[in-house]
Amino acid sequence: MGENTSMDCNFTDTDLLDRLEAADDPALDTLSFGVVAMSDDGTVTSYNLAESQLSGLTPANVIGRNFFSSVAPCTNNFLVAHRFENEPVLDVIIDYVFTLRIKPVAVRLRLLKQTSRRRMYLAVECR
Amino acid sequence: MEDLLQFLYLMPVGVVKFCSDGKVEMMNPVASALLLSIKSADTLGDIYSALETIAPDLRERVIQFSGHAGTVIDQQWLRTRAGKQVLVLSLTVNRIKDNVYMAVLSDVTRLAEQEEKLYADRQKFFAIFDHVRDYAIYTITMDGLIEEWNQSLQRYAGWLAADVQGRSMSMFFPLDDPDRPHLDLLLAEAQRIGSTETEGWRLKRDGSRLWANTVVTALPDESGAVRGFVVVSRDLTERKRQEDEMKKLATVDPLTGAYNRRNGHALLAVQFSQRKRNGHPFAVLMLDVDDFKAVNDRFGHAVGDAVLCVLVQICRKALRPVDMVIRWGGEEFLIVLPNTGADEAMSIAERLRVIVAAAEVAASEGTSIRFTISVGVALPAGESPVELLRRSDGALYVAKTGGRNRVILAS
Repeated sequence: MGENTSMDCNFTDTDLLDRLEAADDPALDTLSFGVVAMSDDGTVTSYNLAESQLSGLTPANVIGRNFFSSVAPCTNNFLVAHRFENEPVLDVIIDYVFTLRIKPVAVRLRLLKQTSRRRMYLAVECR
Repeated sequence: MEDLLQFLYLMPVGVVKFCSDGKVEMMNPVASALLLSIKSADTLGDIYSALETIAPDLRERVIQFSGHAGTVIDQQWLRTRAGKQVLVLSLTVNRIKDNVYMAVLSDVTRLAEQEEKLYADRQKFFAIFDHVRDYAIYTITMDGLIEEWNQSLQRYAGWLAADVQGRSMSMFFPLDDPDRPHLDLLLAEAQRIGSTETEGWRLKRDGSRLWANTVVTALPDESGAVRGFVVVSRDLTERKRQEDEMKKLATVDPLTGAYNRRNGHALLAVQFSQRKRNGHPFAVLMLDVDDFKAVNDRFGHAVGDAVLCVLVQICRKALRPVDMVIRWGGEEFLIVLPNTGADEAMSIAERLRVIVAAAEVAASEGTSIRFTISVGVALPAGESPVELLRRSDGALYVAKTGGRNRVILAS
């Protein structure tokens, strides 16, 4: 995958985890849905443009912090954080509500994780 | 602006801005998480339907609120279930202005659990307080003022709430008790070493007394500072009575009620040490019933015993409470007279001799007999108790050989 290449992929693609693993930050920024990449302890390593626009938070303010406890505490529960924490392999889509910019917004979340992978991912798409 | 957003995202309580028709205009993540735990996501746009299950009257209360601004609901605890778990939310609703309302939601489940546990513990304590019989359990302040009345105090000593609440626990210590505990010292010790114990007389409501063991234990708060005390007082009146009885049996001659000889030695030793310490004089009388063997031989042992009892009764009546009558052997008695000089001792002995000689003791078939005593009087002169007793015996011997029914002062 070359530089400044736009990613041609959808929220529901079966190989989404592989595609995200292979992508660099500029590539992630070309996606139409939000993507948060995290190390296995939940520390944010990448925060793409779509996600930043949804939440109103810039990547500089988010990267290096724990996503569940200090970026989006509304995910720090058994529906999201606990699943990332406890399940070695994860690929589910759930309906959820984010309070983006202090308004409840119905979203769809895709939780992606495989212990052998470099990072785990939370993909966010408005319903 | 981004800082403000981040601040609101991380706010640890849920905040919701809404209109009187229930439409949600703003909501922070904690608010949505809390509401999602009780209702599905599609209700989040309307606070009334979101809170429907736990606060069904919310719409009504908002509409009926007549003030232009102010508190509609103040920290109301709402209990619900989130899956298998109990969830308790605290809800506050304020009218900010016109059609602007703010709801503050927080998860108080842990607090509610603690409160429930506290309540359960309290109930347990009260169950104990109210049903123990021989114990009184109550708490006092740092100054010893009784905080809480309970049934145990009534069962134990008859005290009612109005009698004791706010009064010092020293009200239970009889004022005329020479061994009355000093409350300040008691509390100071309990505070210093954690707890202290004292045994003695306690006043009952009807003015009578009970003998109790009282343990005062300091109650520290979380920081370890003492905030008050818990007092556990146990009624030991029956044990005390039995102990006194045993002590009496060990020290008293069962026939006459006079002290026995073993105790007599101890009593005499106390007089010697007091004389040595503060120079108080004392006297001893060694007295013996004249011709006692003849009384026994002629009228029987029952009459002989009666003679001895009458003699002790006469001594008791004629002497001061501080004086001690000791059965020294058979028909021989030792009387110890504290704070008594030679002249006084002689006149006391003489008075006893006269009263005894005039007394009558019932014998067989409605007849009565008289008897006399001989007395040897001695005062200590820097010698040992044995020496003093030897001199009083010597004086008694002189009285006997001189014709009986007389008093002789030892030289």
